[in-house]
Amino acid sequence: MTHEELEEAVPLYAVGALERMERQAFEAHLLSGCPGCHAALKEYQSVAALLSFGLSPRQPPRPLKAKIMASRNLLPAGAESSTKEPPKPSLEPGEWMNHLFPPIAPARSGSLPWAIGLATLLVLGGGGYMAWTYVTQVTSDSIRLEQLSARLHEQSVKLASVQRELTGRERALAELREDMQKRTTDVAELKDQLIQREAELDDLRNQLASASRRGRATQDELASLLRVPDINAVSLSGSDMAKGAGGLLLFDPRTQKVWLYAVNLPECPSGMTYQLWAITDKPTSVGTFHMDSGETAHMLVKRLPDFARAKQFAVSLEPSGGRPQPTGPVYLTGSL
Amino acid sequence: MSSPSRHATSTIDSALIARVLKGDQQAFSQLYDHSNTLLYTLALRILGNHEEAAELLQDVYLEVWRKVARYDVGRGTPVAWLVTLTRSRALDRLRARTARGQQYKDQLDGDAAARVPDLGPSPLETQADQELRLLVGQAISALPVAQQQAIELAYYEGLSHTEIATKLNQPLGTVKTRIKLGMSKLRDTLRTCWEQGDVT
Repeated sequence: MTHEELEEAVPLYAVGALERMERQAFEAHLLSGCPGCHAALKEYQSVAALLSFGLSPRQPPRPLKAKIMASRNLLPAGAESSTKEPPKPSLEPGEWMNHLFPPIAPARSGSLPWAIGLATLLVLGGGGYMAWTYVTQVTSDSIRLEQLSARLHEQSVKLASVQRELTGRERALAELREDMQKRTTDVAELKDQLIQREAELDDLRNQLASASRRGRATQDELASLLRVPDINAVSLSGSDMAKGAGGLLLFDPRTQKVWLYAVNLPECPSGMTYQLWAITDKPTSVGTFHMDSGETAHMLVKRLPDFARAKQFAVSLEPSGGRPQPTGPVYLTGSL
Repeated sequence: MSSPSRHATSTIDSALIARVLKGDQQAFSQLYDHSNTLLYTLALRILGNHEEAAELLQDVYLEVWRKVARYDVGRGTPVAWLVTLTRSRALDRLRARTARGQQYKDQLDGDAAARVPDLGPSPLETQADQELRLLVGQAISALPVAQQQAIELAYYEGLSHTEIATKLNQPLGTVKTRIKLGMSKLRDTLRTCWEQGDVT
């Protein structure tokens, strides 16, 4: 309704002729505080209140007052008003609105209840004005609501996407942690292996040092052996298999050891080894030795307590590990 | 004390209501004496039945006795409040009766004076009430009958402008115009009444 229509509705409202929807719209407009409509309504409601004064007066039945007074005595004013609420009939249009009008005379009561009532009415007025404003903006609010719903849905989708990405990154982080843990374990194992290798290297160094010491000891022992006056020596010469080869066999009676110093023997074929024999009645194996590629001389030291009984010595080529009796070609021979 | 009917309805003041508020039974009795004729006349005009009008009056006064604490003495006169309350409750009864399909024989059928302004003197009222009644009655009588009819159908029968248009078989705009013009004329004629602060 336009304001002009609302102004024209004032007399209709005062006399109670508006339809329900029109009445509610007009009351909402009044709550907005329109001073013109309030002033007009005050006058028209005064007119309406005067209408019944124009009727020909009629007297109610005389017993009615006594009946009312008797009924009233059954209903004490204070107790009744505070304990029992009568059934509330519908309000005549404008009845409640009377309380919105400014007093004809200045208010004579400044008591708290009136102040509370006035405050309540002001609040109701403000609420009504807002309600009226909102009613006129229902369409735009609906559109805004739809837009907000769409934005909310869009934000929800984005949130779900971010959550999925976050979950994926957490999974990747967990895999990285697992991989790092595995690599840490590998590094620890490598460290252990390194420590083990270093220990083995130390062992090898020790063995090398020990071997070096033994070599030096052998050389020292050979040097002292050569200085012994009663040492026995047998010269070995190369056979047709190795004419350039030769050897020297020494026997130390104090230690019961024989020393074979062989030179220029061919390289042992794969799977073969040289074997030294002491021949008494039959060949007896003294020991085996190997000539590697590029090697020109080799020293073999073995114990041989029966050296004195041997008549002849020989070196033959045998399968690896040697044989109880000579089976291969003879490369060196010599006699006492 | 004079006869109950001799109290001036238009002179009910807030002080009397304040005494009723405090549970003063004598004040309540005075309030009845001052207002019962006006309210009964109104109830009878709306309901058209003496017994029902009397029942309604009893309900209204007992409601006043109980609800008087809710009356705002600083806003509007006690008479205007009582008139509004009585009309509202009477129309409630009328609508409830209509909804039940219940029909009373209209006891005012043969009493046209109860429906139209009575411009003659009455022994039931004071001089002041009589002067006011004459003033209002003359103002209403000065309106075209069609405007009187439209206003009375709304005020005394509780019909909306649409219902009035249907009942009178008149265009809705015509009914609205009749009510607006009639009320506007009454406002111009009766403005002195509330400007003096006597009644409303």
